Amino acid sequence: MNATNKRIVTFLWTILWASLALQSPSTAQTRGADIAVVVNADTPVTDLSLSEVRKVLLGERQYWNSKLPVVLLIRAPEARERDVVLRVIYQMSEAQFKQYWVAKIFRAEAATPPRIVYSNDMQYELLTALPGSIAFVDSRNIRAGVKVLRVDGHLPGEKDYPLR
Amino acid sequence: MRRRLPVLAMMFFAISPAWAQSSPPVDQAEQIRVLLERVQQLEKRVAELETKPAAAGAVVTAANIPAAAKPEMVPAPPPGSGHQHETAERQAATEQLEVHYPSLQIRGFGDVDFSATDQKGTTSGFNEGQLDLHLASALSRKVTYFGEITFNAQPTSVYTVDVERSIIRYDYNDFFKLSFGRYHTPIGYWNTAFHHGAWLQTTIARPDFVKFGGTFIPVHFLGFLAEGNIPSGGAGLSYNVGVGNGRGSPISRPGDAGDINDNRAWVANLYSRPARLYGLQMGVSVYRDKITLLGTQPNGNNFREWISAAHIVWTKETPEFLAEFANVNHRNILTNFVTNSQAFYAQVGYRLPWLERTLKPYYRFEHTHVPLSEQVFTNQNLVQSIVGMRYDITNYAAFKGEYRYFKRLPTDPWVNGAFFQTDFTF
Repeated sequence: MNATNKRIVTFLWTILWASLALQSPSTAQTRGADIAVVVNADTPVTDLSLSEVRKVLLGERQYWNSKLPVVLLIRAPEARERDVVLRVIYQMSEAQFKQYWVAKIFRAEAATPPRIVYSNDMQYELLTALPGSIAFVDSRNIRAGVKVLRVDGHLPGEKDYPLR
Repeated sequence: MRRRLPVLAMMFFAISPAWAQSSPPVDQAEQIRVLLERVQQLEKRVAELETKPAAAGAVVTAANIPAAAKPEMVPAPPPGSGHQHETAERQAATEQLEVHYPSLQIRGFGDVDFSATDQKGTTSGFNEGQLDLHLASALSRKVTYFGEITFNAQPTSVYTVDVERSIIRYDYNDFFKLSFGRYHTPIGYWNTAFHHGAWLQTTIARPDFVKFGGTFIPVHFLGFLAEGNIPSGGAGLSYNVGVGNGRGSPISRPGDAGDINDNRAWVANLYSRPARLYGLQMGVSVYRDKITLLGTQPNGNNFREWISAAHIVWTKETPEFLAEFANVNHRNILTNFVTNSQAFYAQVGYRLPWLERTLKPYYRFEHTHVPLSEQVFTNQNLVQSIVGMRYDITNYAAFKGEYRYFKRLPTDPWVNGAFFQTDFTF
């Protein structure tokens, strides 16, 4: 390979990699906002580990205390909040999630599946009205009147926050 | 090299437009429109909040969230927004807020099967399988009823209807729930994981030693059961403890109309779902009963029964692994003669990543050994290998196909069989 050919090859590779670098979106651009774990303001909890959040979502923990049942609120399919909850907490596909709750009720381990919410407005309405309710909200859309829980000691936006 | 250069150049020019098409530049006008919509939404929300009194109590609000979580991109408005959408949403919210008791929910399971084997004296053909109805009804915030009824095709009559489970449960909290009724006995894993829902299990049939109508373990149990979590941190311990009638007559049934003797059976099951190993469950169970066989036996008809069982399962599907072992100890009360029978199975499956994860091949090995001196059971020996494939047609229906290779007694010939099933929930 002569010097001219080497320069042409180097030039083409440089262009190729530069194009790749420019085309691939940066991490900051692709990463959505953190998903906050929010509960009804009267719920007696402020901090949960990720495995405790998982136990709540799996229906293995059904009571905050003996007088206050957990009321699970989950966004309808296609919402980003639901995608993050299924990916990070349940570690299930949409089909596996549906099958999980069919089986859970069939095993007499739960009486009802999580309540489905279709928007942030509906979510906040239920969160403020239902004692013991817990939901997952895009941290950019947090409103007053609910309690945001720390997960593994972190609030949304902090470096090691796990739900994103 | 001269030949390579044009090829590289062509590759580069061919790839570049493809990238450009996959992520087009953001249209500024569209961005402005979305931002304006967002501003309008926020203004509307501010107006709503200003009209409502601030929530009392120390709550964490958006102000407590670090700056990194503040808005940086505008989400697209939901499709179908407008008056109709808001009305539908309002109606859905109202329905979710209203709680009615009792709130009966019914779910059904069904299956249709086909089987063909080279075993002498058997015929190939279709089989209706079971039609199973499951009822769940909250009677109050802490009281729930669960029921399971099956309709079974019979060779000698049209159908039989069986009450498989009928349970009323009172929840005190996560650590103590008390229920009364007819259960699937909490021995091992399978018996309480899949019940009569063939669609829920990976394979076509249950393992032989937990099959319905079988006698190796008492599949059903009539009495009361206490259950709940045990405060154990990351170990994730839970328990079931129950007292009931025990085996009836025949011993495959739990004495629904009354106990066959004055002795109550009891069962205890302890299992762990470790927090660090999400998907893993392991547990041990013990069951104690006095069996009274009908009719006159030469050596007496009363036996003590001890069942001890253990299981370990990994419930994720990449891979899935289930294994159970059970030992059944029978002691003749009159002669003190003791026999032990063992059974186990190990099953592995794997959800393949292709075709939208609809395929799941699996393999199961089963072994049951009942000694010739066993006094309560008839022979149940089995060595069996099953290879199969599950195909999920939709989220709620599946096709399964299996090849089985098995034999009962050492002197029996090996049997080859092909089995097919479509099962579903509705």
